[in-house]
Amino acid sequence: MLVLRSSSKTRAGLSLLLSLALACGTLTGCVTVRPEDKEFLAEPSMIYGSEGATAGHEDHVLANREGSAGASGAAGGGCGCN
Amino acid sequence: MQLRTFGIALTFLLTALSVSGGGARADGVVSTTNTIFEEYGGPLHMSVITPGVDARADMGDHVNIAAGYEADIVSGASVAIVDAPSSAPDAISGATSLRDTRHVAHAHLTLRDETTSLRAGYVYGTEHDYRSQAFDLTARTELYERNTILEVSYARGFDSVCDISHPRDQDVVEHRRLPSSEGCFVDGSDRVARDVSLQSFQGAWSQAWTSLFSTQLVLSTQIIDGFQSNPYRAVWLGRSAAQENHPEVRARYAAALNLRFWIKPLRGALQASVRGYRDTWDIRSVTAELAYDQSIAAGLRLRVRGRWYTQTAAAFFSDDYSRMPRGQYFTGDRELSAMRTLTLGARLAWSVPTNDEGEVLGFLDSMDLVAKGDYLTFTFDGFHYGSAAIPNRHAIVGTFGLEAVF
Repeated sequence: MLVLRSSSKTRAGLSLLLSLALACGTLTGCVTVRPEDKEFLAEPSMIYGSEGATAGHEDHVLANREGSAGASGAAGGGCGCN
Repeated sequence: MQLRTFGIALTFLLTALSVSGGGARADGVVSTTNTIFEEYGGPLHMSVITPGVDARADMGDHVNIAAGYEADIVSGASVAIVDAPSSAPDAISGATSLRDTRHVAHAHLTLRDETTSLRAGYVYGTEHDYRSQAFDLTARTELYERNTILEVSYARGFDSVCDISHPRDQDVVEHRRLPSSEGCFVDGSDRVARDVSLQSFQGAWSQAWTSLFSTQLVLSTQIIDGFQSNPYRAVWLGRSAAQENHPEVRARYAAALNLRFWIKPLRGALQASVRGYRDTWDIRSVTAELAYDQSIAAGLRLRVRGRWYTQTAAAFFSDDYSRMPRGQYFTGDRELSAMRTLTLGARLAWSVPTNDEGEVLGFLDSMDLVAKGDYLTFTFDGFHYGSAAIPNRHAIVGTFGLEAVF
């Protein structure tokens, strides 16, 4: 019974993820910021990961002083300037 | 071994630099980042100095190589036997000093075209009682006129921890703690190397929604399998003390949402992020951060921020195992208790102005300097050394960085 419940939960979770992925894919395909409108998105403070090694050092400190870690992010931000 | 690793990394780095200097189509970047962490309060203190140097160079239009070296120079004092009965009113009076240096070298290769890149790398770390090596692979693509960025990465780590050689049939409650790193990774000593296997996956989706607003969603999971206790730390169990004993498998899951919004009239960016975390040791945490990055003069930016973090305790954590045992596992790690962190900080970044020829100091394309300072305060409501509260609950972190582009 537990196995059945867990597998139906997994199926529901996968369906939700798939629906979200499809919705996101459709939605993002409709969103267009033209290159000439990306002046502010290209500012260093708007680019994810632009902190470089200083952010890496901070993650290292916090991972050693707190019980959790992960999802520390990726570079980029949609400016098309990397 | 350490020197050889450092030598290989340095050779790689110098090769990258010489190629970047001589090649007509190559750009080279050299950077250094140096951090000082100082945790203070009472007899327990911890200092970590982390100097680092990195270099990367474009080899034509499609290839980039990078190499770097970093060290962790650690000194301080810690409690060897947590909750040990003491005649002194302050149970922390028996703190023992520690000192070690960790060396880490890395090398990465990136292949890229107009919108897609593939990055592969290797990281090696060594210290007296710990060795690690990891391979990582990252794939990234930009879609929909570069408004959407998808990135997936995988890392595989193989670590070794020094431990005392316990008799095979000895119960964990009789395990002695490792007294020192002497004899670690030396054949014929009474030390053994315990393995830790790590697998990390991460997926990130960055999206520009308008000319002023973007988001990033990050999902990650990590599976750690192996020896995860601190071999030096013992816990008082009632009749005797034993080396702490953590479960061997830990699966960690995290999801973060980051938002950036450009405030046009102020010429500044509002940055917000929230992260949820859960693992199979039953630690759950939430992190929230709010920052504001303001351009205050040509090339000069100031960022101020506040960060709040809270977590629950691990399922097997107890503040007193002699009165409240939690089954077969026991820990003296304060980071596995319920805790909160508040961080306040500021960061100053300066892009040095170029001369009329577009150069800095006559030979650089650009140079950026960064100075950063953070104050952290930790709250541990459910962790005590005997009856004494944790004294070292405050820390400051200072970072200085320099990046030069040739």
